[in-house]
Amino acid sequence: MKNWKLIAEANQLRIPTPDLERIAPALDALEAAFRPLVMTIPDDVEPAVSFYVFPESAK
Amino acid sequence: MTIVEAAQSLRKHAVSSAELTEAALGRIAADNPKLNAFLTVLEDSARAKAKAADSELGRGIDRGPLHGIPIAVKDVFETRGVRTTCGSALFKDNVPARDAAVVEKLAAAGAVLVGKAGMHELAYGITSNNPHFGTIRNPRDPDRIPGGSSGGSGAAVAADMVFMAMGSDTGGSIRIPASFCGTVGLKPTTGRVSRYGVMPLDFSLDHMGPLTRSARDAAVTLQAIAGFDPRDETSSQVPVGDYLPSPHCSVRDIRIGLPENFYFDRLDPDVDAAVRAMAAKAESLGARVVPVRVPDIAALNTVGRVILLAEASAVMEKYLAKRDHFGADVLALLDQGRLLSATDYVNAQRLRRMMQREFAQLWLQVDCLFTPTTPAAAPRIGETTTQFGDQKEDVRLAATRLVRGINVLGLPAISIPCANDRLGLPLGLQIIGRPFEEALVLRVAAALEDAK
Repeated sequence: MKNWKLIAEANQLRIPTPDLERIAPALDALEAAFRPLVMTIPDDVEPAVSFYVFPESAK
Repeated sequence: MTIVEAAQSLRKHAVSSAELTEAALGRIAADNPKLNAFLTVLEDSARAKAKAADSELGRGIDRGPLHGIPIAVKDVFETRGVRTTCGSALFKDNVPARDAAVVEKLAAAGAVLVGKAGMHELAYGITSNNPHFGTIRNPRDPDRIPGGSSGGSGAAVAADMVFMAMGSDTGGSIRIPASFCGTVGLKPTTGRVSRYGVMPLDFSLDHMGPLTRSARDAAVTLQAIAGFDPRDETSSQVPVGDYLPSPHCSVRDIRIGLPENFYFDRLDPDVDAAVRAMAAKAESLGARVVPVRVPDIAALNTVGRVILLAEASAVMEKYLAKRDHFGADVLALLDQGRLLSATDYVNAQRLRRMMQREFAQLWLQVDCLFTPTTPAAAPRIGETTTQFGDQKEDVRLAATRLVRGINVLGLPAISIPCANDRLGLPLGLQIIGRPFEEALVLRVAAALEDAK
């Protein structure tokens, strides 16, 4: 599992330690569910977030 | 009385908008101290708008079925010159200079806005137990939550304070209060209703829709608020349909998918029985009920949680130094979002694309899906877990389990009351449709209501 305290410190998030300890189990559970899914993504699948460019963008 | 019935009475001069509005204000005055459904009540402007509506109808100016109807909007919709808090201490004195697109459209349709409904803080939760503005209570049992985040909207409609209240839905926040309060709640397709002027919780999961007393009332509301809006990047140019089901609408030959996996796991037995009874009723009306296996909804929910945590934290990043301005539950979610990586967010959006393609295959087999909206009736205020047999589940995860994934896919979905449980508490049936097929979803819902 990830060390959420180290991640918070490295990103200078200033999350108090008791608050971090409270949310760690939820993040661990999410990580356990999410990580295996990531391994199933074919290389050519693009994200659902899109950025569109139209001719009008130049105006 | 429904919007459709009130609209007929208004045109027969059996009742006036002023009378409907006074009745609404009277119920709010009587019940809001107990229920806390409204954050702001607009007595003077509502009376003025009702008077104007009566005057217009008297002169033959008819803006449609919402003309002269008392309504509310969740306090996430910006209202020009009227405080819009988003249920947050950060915005307790926020007075916008503009109306949200939905508010503009409802005003153009002649609706009478009587107030701003309370909500879960920042629309980020499902209890509507708000630390800054107080607990909202369920009219069906004031010791229970109304659901959320559009809890004030659900309570206001269920308590007959207004005919319709607008809500927003990022992970079930229209359908959950509809299920818990015994109202109808419609989440339209992504892009169908403009988000312009709505304080965002999330950029890719937020949807706007009505809570009402009937499916036809949801339809007339959608008719008024749907349509392209260039001010909203996600707004769709797909033509607006004709949403109002006919008086004798039919479900004959509609293929209703009844999931064999996921949706009927870990339910209160009363919910299981109620939803299956509705499927049987639809079959008796001529629909074809088809057992189907749905894609991995648990995975879809996980993807939805990663997207929501990341996007909501991005929205609120600039406010997070003021930690004492947030309730503990919301702050915990915002902190979780800040700890996710950019890589995880992008991969969640890639998984979303994959799952959208998987789900598209399902629509080759069926025209809509029947599922429970929530796995049990409304929990008591303060409860943190829901019990299913010998298993306990976090109240928030349980309430969102059957609805969250539909936001990830952007599909239209409605919750309609389908039965009461053994305690007399309402239960919801969720009907999920293909993208932009709100008309079919509403027709099925209306046909089931007509058959009651």
